[in-house]
Amino acid sequence: MRTEEKLIFQALRERGVAFDRIDTRKLVLDLNLDGHGADKPMQSRGQFDNYGIVLVRCLSNSRALCASRVLQMQGVRTVNTRDAIATCGDKILTNLALLEYGIPTPRAAMAFSRESALVGAHDIGYPVVVKPPIGSWGRLMAKVNDRQTAESIVEHKEAMDNSGGSPFYVQDYIHKPGYDIRTLVVGDETLYAVRRSSAHWITNTARGGQVSNLAVTDELDRLSLAAAAAVGGEIVAVDILEDADGVLTVNEVNHTPEFHGAMQVTDVDIAGKMVDYVLRLADG
Amino acid sequence: MPSHPAITIGVLCSRVRVEEKLIFSALQERGIDYERIDTRQVTCDLDHGSLGECDAVLVRCLSHSRAYYLTRWAEHLGVPAVSPHRVVATCTDKLLASAALQEAGVPTPHTLVAFTPQAALEAIEEMGYPVVLKPLNGSWGRLLARVNDRHAAEAILEHKTTLGGYQHSVFYIQEYVEKPGRDIRSFVVGDETVAAIYRQSPHWITNTARGGTASNCPITPEVDRVSRAAAQAVGGGVVAVDIFEHPDGRLLVGEVNHTPEFRNSIAPTGVDIPGKIVDYVMEVATMKQSGR
Repeated sequence: MRTEEKLIFQALRERGVAFDRIDTRKLVLDLNLDGHGADKPMQSRGQFDNYGIVLVRCLSNSRALCASRVLQMQGVRTVNTRDAIATCGDKILTNLALLEYGIPTPRAAMAFSRESALVGAHDIGYPVVVKPPIGSWGRLMAKVNDRQTAESIVEHKEAMDNSGGSPFYVQDYIHKPGYDIRTLVVGDETLYAVRRSSAHWITNTARGGQVSNLAVTDELDRLSLAAAAAVGGEIVAVDILEDADGVLTVNEVNHTPEFHGAMQVTDVDIAGKMVDYVLRLADG
Repeated sequence: MPSHPAITIGVLCSRVRVEEKLIFSALQERGIDYERIDTRQVTCDLDHGSLGECDAVLVRCLSHSRAYYLTRWAEHLGVPAVSPHRVVATCTDKLLASAALQEAGVPTPHTLVAFTPQAALEAIEEMGYPVVLKPLNGSWGRLLARVNDRHAAEAILEHKTTLGGYQHSVFYIQEYVEKPGRDIRSFVVGDETVAAIYRQSPHWITNTARGGTASNCPITPEVDRVSRAAAQAVGGGVVAVDIFEHPDGRLLVGEVNHTPEFRNSIAPTGVDIPGKIVDYVMEVATMKQSGR
């Protein structure tokens, strides 16, 4: 269990709320609703009926996706919703959703072959970032400074891909001033903003980035709430990039935010705010 | 034959199989302008890209992943896709398809999902042997495993765990339906069941890609009803519906395919499936053009 989940459980207990921890490792989900096919009544049928709401905190994106879809079909409200999880869990779907909402994002392209990926990188102009559409914690993100590197990276990706044709996602590299910004949105409130500084271009705290508090300016607030709305997210972290001229773009939106780094530098009761939001929904 | 000078159809594909050749012929016969868009050669500029002059795109990608992202991109550009993104997204993932079918009241075989080999084993034992384990995104009957006993379950689960990745880390466990040596595949275009075949095979996997043979299946009111309900459940478009005849007489929907192969279904049914598909795409493009 991560720090985040411990704090969420604590916040629930402080509020006297009855809750269960649903361990996805032990879960068996029933994909049949009563009367539609299966003739054997299962113990697991309607297994979530007694929950007013389910907060999704799976580390695994695929478990979050599958479980939230089954909960949805069983009529159980989840936070985030299944659709928000699906959009945030995929960088290409996120990018398109942000664009459709008129939110500034780094320029990007997708392609399905080595040659087309190289065309995309060339058109955007080096340096670029090549990322897997699905993935977290900065894993397998490649900063590509020139064509030779691009050739090697796409070749390696192609050799790695056993699912047959997962796209190449190529994004403009934003020349950051040594940090990027992460905000946390809960409901319609931007709870905090932090700066993640690193000598390395990948600033994830999971990769050793240093966190410091940052004021939630009107611009950050507006951008964060818009990004959350674009992906349909209710509890989400928004990754924002600042370029050398101070122009902000939204990079990614995370549907199961970690906040153990941020809590060291802000006074906000993050877990408490999350729990209060979920309780408001359950009561509403 | 009337010509359609104002409309252009994009056909998204990589390798041109028999199906795509037949679709190109049907387009040519109707005097329709079309553009073959090779998915290997397309670079989708997310910010400033376009699909050229296309009024609609017909998705004929072999790769589910390409179909998935390219239909989403087409939707972003306001170009209707056949089948639409929602259909591709739902059919590409057996869990999403099962959920959509059940929500629409379409009977499906009993299905359980687990995320660890231990939980999967418990689910299998609870369901009772034999069961079928399926990868969430597979096609052509690949990596389907029929599990007849606990030893088989243990071995298959270990192999899936070693394979890893999204599709092997979610265990999709389905009741094995005792088929009468065949199953039914029906083709739904828009809201019409245009053809259906029996797929006969001594092997429990009846895909024609795996050696199953096709013969005509009469579109009974029941087959028609189940087929159209399944197509509507996943969002319409052009789909093939796999139907099992349960020993108790019910028709159960196994899965729905968003980019059906149909080369072996034309002769036994006598139905011009590619023609039907092309006419439907034209209908979609025309509706788009007239702003509906």
